[in-house]
Amino acid sequence: MTTQLTPDRVASPLLAPKSGFGPALARWVGALAGAIAIFSILLLTKGADPIATLVDMVVSTTTGASIEQIVIKAAPLVLAAMAVVLPARAGLANVGGEGQVIIGAVAGAGVGLVVSGPAALPLMLIGGALGGALWAGLAVALRVTVGVNEAVTTLLLNYVALDVMLYLIYEPWKDANGSGQPATPPLAIEQRLPLVGGTAVHMGIVLALVAAAAVWLTLRHTSFGFRLSVVGGNPEAARRAGLPVARLLVTAMLLGGALAGLAGVIHLAGIEFKLRPGLTTNIGYIAFLAAWLARHNPLPAVAAAFMLAAITVGGDSLQLDSGLPAATVNVLMALILLAVLGWTAKRSTS
Amino acid sequence: MRKLAALAALLTVPLIACSANTTGTATTGTTSASPGKDSTAVGFIFVGPKDDFGYNQAAYQGSQEVAKAYPNLEVITAENVPEDDNAARVMNSMIAKGAKIIFATSYGHLDAALKVAAEHPDVAVVQQGNLITTAVPKNAGTFFGTVYEPVYLAGIAAGKATKSGKLGYVYAFPITQTIDNINAFELGAQSVNPAAQTFAVSTSSWCDPAKQAEAAANLLKQGVDVITQHQDCTATVIKATEAAGAFTVGYHADASAIAPKGWLTGSQWNWGPLYTDIVKTALGGGFTGSKYNDNFRVGYRTGENPFVQSPYGPLVDAETKAAIEKARDLLKTSSPFAGPVTDQEGKVRIPAGTVPDYTTIEKIDYFVAGVVGTLPKS
Repeated sequence: MTTQLTPDRVASPLLAPKSGFGPALARWVGALAGAIAIFSILLLTKGADPIATLVDMVVSTTTGASIEQIVIKAAPLVLAAMAVVLPARAGLANVGGEGQVIIGAVAGAGVGLVVSGPAALPLMLIGGALGGALWAGLAVALRVTVGVNEAVTTLLLNYVALDVMLYLIYEPWKDANGSGQPATPPLAIEQRLPLVGGTAVHMGIVLALVAAAAVWLTLRHTSFGFRLSVVGGNPEAARRAGLPVARLLVTAMLLGGALAGLAGVIHLAGIEFKLRPGLTTNIGYIAFLAAWLARHNPLPAVAAAFMLAAITVGGDSLQLDSGLPAATVNVLMALILLAVLGWTAKRSTS
Repeated sequence: MRKLAALAALLTVPLIACSANTTGTATTGTTSASPGKDSTAVGFIFVGPKDDFGYNQAAYQGSQEVAKAYPNLEVITAENVPEDDNAARVMNSMIAKGAKIIFATSYGHLDAALKVAAEHPDVAVVQQGNLITTAVPKNAGTFFGTVYEPVYLAGIAAGKATKSGKLGYVYAFPITQTIDNINAFELGAQSVNPAAQTFAVSTSSWCDPAKQAEAAANLLKQGVDVITQHQDCTATVIKATEAAGAFTVGYHADASAIAPKGWLTGSQWNWGPLYTDIVKTALGGGFTGSKYNDNFRVGYRTGENPFVQSPYGPLVDAETKAAIEKARDLLKTSSPFAGPVTDQEGKVRIPAGTVPDYTTIEKIDYFVAGVVGTLPKS
């Protein structure tokens, strides 16, 4: 009997073993419960009541304003998580989401400086995606030509991206009418992403969810997605089977970079409106975490992005209601990552 | 190609009602006559940790004095609040908890503060240190001390103490507040030591200990023997300076404990009285139209500066102290920037005999002669 090789069954070190929805959910719940138990001990040592603190945190995320904030925060995280998920299918580790997000925002802002009117926003979005793709392209070019590991180059390019942005906002692009703080002039109203209905949420979330659905469809139902899985599973076998491995790697990385670039430009055009030094507040890294939490599966990665956004928003309550230090929320995120990765890794070896 | 068609269908975004994104720009007439009145809570956001031996700690201490003065008022604080839209989110959370008076204490919190003020006409939002350059909304304002005045006095101590004639200044961003400080420091030093030069180095961060250590090391290598700074966290530079046997002029807080030998003097905050008065004004319903509903600045000429001179270190001699006393008296009627002031190119910017007002001083965008370093062009 021959086994039908379908995209879903292709072995990949980055893919979780195929399992039903029920067991997967149970694993998640178990891991989260473990993380929360450890976190509660930390809260006790800081003199806070864990139950009251966690209840406050959860309750604080349920108000209308908080839900809007979670959606706003999740939009770039979803896109930047897809920027990790897609290349990962081809076995590429894109640690450069942060840099690609920054360059996406920079490219978008650059377009915004020269184009006004109704064409500005679409061109900014395209510019942002191209900028992110270019930045990821640098890393993958080094990988396919001279064999430099992309995990290293993408990570290092994050710092270069930040320096590029800082140079621009300190000198050529600095707002001459601003208050001296390094920042670009604010985007005009027509250069900003419109809001959804009567809410404070910008259209970035729609773009992000469409992009995530497209990534999911591509990976699951297209021959391109299937080829990526083959390359990711065993590049040597893929090469012998006649697949254009280098071209597939480059394409996967460029698409990933474009998604991260889009994350940067929607963050700029949706909520920030100015380039400034702390623009991204680690979108790229948090999204990397979301992608790993989901073991590089697109739809769970969307869920993880929303969960991390909710923790960030709920984390305000740790300070405001319980008077805990600001770093507490980072501890919670790290615990969740370790618990989920530890738990799922254990399951995949059994 | 059915799949491609499906993809394309998906990409045609369902039509969703959308509206222009005018977030934070709404200037609709405020109907509330008394923002902050009868608030049950006050919110404070800080850009850094509240125990940074610097700017944020001083602001945090000020918030605790408000708590002491108003025991029935809930004082909500949040540290490490970035200078971007996250700040608006945190302020909104505080408002949801009942705060109708908000202190946004970092320079870069202004955009978020104005956005929150526009969304909540009944909340008084005050921002520490920046300048509202457009029409001041009825429920917003900025406040600060004339920080450069005590820095000028500290410059006198530095000018007297230096042997190499080279002073170092580690700063974060080339904002006017910092430019004023660097200039005042140099002018103070020049007033007692005409050959003194100030080497200004930027770290592009309010608190990045690695960059601070590098900046201090570079300055010391150039022969600088007195170092001061405009950073939020100050310990790294002070420890490096003390270890090298050079003199320290402090900023934000009295850090003489970590520079027992080289501490000269410095400038430090005493926010309690000013914060308390702002809260009192808003609680009473009199915020709109008050001096705090403006770009409020206070210095030796107009009242009690919340920025005061730090205690002297052991090596400051009586002659230096006398020179500083004399200068302090002079500042009650004059200014560190009393003309003539020339810039680095030798151009006279403030003519002899002119004493500029606070607003003019906050618009200075050049280094004075004697400062070594360049400002980024914009």
